[in-house]
Amino acid sequence: MITANEIYLSYDKNRFIIKKGSLHIREKEFIFIGGNSGSGKSTLIKSLYGDIGLKHGDLFVDGMKMKDVSSTNLRKLRRNIGIIFQDYKLVNEWTIEENIMLPLKINGYSNDISKKQALNLLSHVKLSHRKGFKPNQLSGGEQQRVAVARALAHNPKIIIADEPTGNLDDYSAEVVWNLLRGANEQLGITVVVVTHRVPRNFGIKFRQLSIEDGIIYEVS
Amino acid sequence: MKSLKSIFSFVIPLTAMLITFAIFLFTTKVVDDYKLKISNDYSIVVVSNKALIKENLNEFAGIKVKNIVTLEKNKIISNIKENLSPKSIKLLIQKLPFFYKIHLDKFPTTSQLKQIKNEIMQLPNIKKVEIFSKNHNQIYLLLLLIQKIIAIVFFVVLVYAVIIISKQIKIWFYEQHEKITIMRFHGASILYSAGSVIKHAIFGAILAFIIVAVLIIALNENLSIIFPPELQSVVDIKLSIKEELIKMFILSLFISITTIIGVLFKYKLKND
Repeated sequence: MITANEIYLSYDKNRFIIKKGSLHIREKEFIFIGGNSGSGKSTLIKSLYGDIGLKHGDLFVDGMKMKDVSSTNLRKLRRNIGIIFQDYKLVNEWTIEENIMLPLKINGYSNDISKKQALNLLSHVKLSHRKGFKPNQLSGGEQQRVAVARALAHNPKIIIADEPTGNLDDYSAEVVWNLLRGANEQLGITVVVVTHRVPRNFGIKFRQLSIEDGIIYEVS
Repeated sequence: MKSLKSIFSFVIPLTAMLITFAIFLFTTKVVDDYKLKISNDYSIVVVSNKALIKENLNEFAGIKVKNIVTLEKNKIISNIKENLSPKSIKLLIQKLPFFYKIHLDKFPTTSQLKQIKNEIMQLPNIKKVEIFSKNHNQIYLLLLLIQKIIAIVFFVVLVYAVIIISKQIKIWFYEQHEKITIMRFHGASILYSAGSVIKHAIFGAILAFIIVAVLIIALNENLSIIFPPELQSVVDIKLSIKEELIKMFILSLFISITTIIGVLFKYKLKND
């Protein structure tokens, strides 16, 4: 599903954030990527959805070669990915229901189907009673639950999450882990999560990678 | 309130541009109409030793010949007839050259007049050509000057309008940047992501058109109030309001959409 061969990633010419990084993630795997702050975890996952370009090496995501990928192909790839950001990235002028409908609409689903799916997911994240609320009317934990629901809405092949529980209380964190676990276990979605803290007794099989000084290591 | 203000920042330059365009269309129509009026009264007098074959004279200096009238020799000598004997009159008629009045399809400019004179003089047996260049209409020249000035003003306003509305569209893009980025992360095209900006611009274009359309209809109904009586004969034209409004609607949408595409393209290059 995701293969990186000796990739180099950087924001400027002088310093590589990821150096000679290689990894292989199979379909339906659950991957945790750990490492210290500034080690390059977020940079690595940004390269998976084309938010940062490769300097050297080869990276394939869902069969798509990421080096010099065309904007049309990148759009196609992103439609099969669900992204969860640490800062949620919800559209504040829309209701949370409309936010969840976004990937469905982009993927061409009708308004009715999108709405039905959004309501279904809102009940999963226990926010049905707040469907008409705008994101800035919710707590951080609630906003992240909405972001997870949005990432799952269109039944993507891959979910990429950047510190999804970093700013959350225990209850919201548990809801988020349950959803990601369910997505992987029941729907067979490949999940790649960047996190400082791997939850204890996670309950399903997962693999752990770590990044130190720009180099990717296999932990378990 | 803020959104209304930003819409007006877009609508005002577009309205100014459309008003200048309307004035340009109006003056063009006035000049064309006036040209037609004076071309009916204007003619060139040609004196020839032999009779002209009218069928061979179709065009001078690119202007079509409307008709050629032969001036009756009897009428020419009518004033001096009384002092002459019938024999002298007969002899005079025989000796007199042929006089013609050439009416043109369009009123010529001064340079065209010179060219016409040269072309006629090159014809065989032509004795004299009178183009009445001194009488060449001053109002017409003034109207031509005004038309040219308005065309230049329209061009300058158009350039300024495009610069101002492109700046406003850039502000809208800046305001919507976060939303556009989120949508693009989910695989939306730039056109889909920028949908709200495009809607704003199209709404602005339609609003500017409506303002100008109302203004034009009101002015057209009250031309006699705006122009003094001495100008009434000049501006007394029949404007096809429907046609002019269609032109303005197309221009308004064209300028807005072209500017959006330009800004969108720049935005895409910067953010991709």
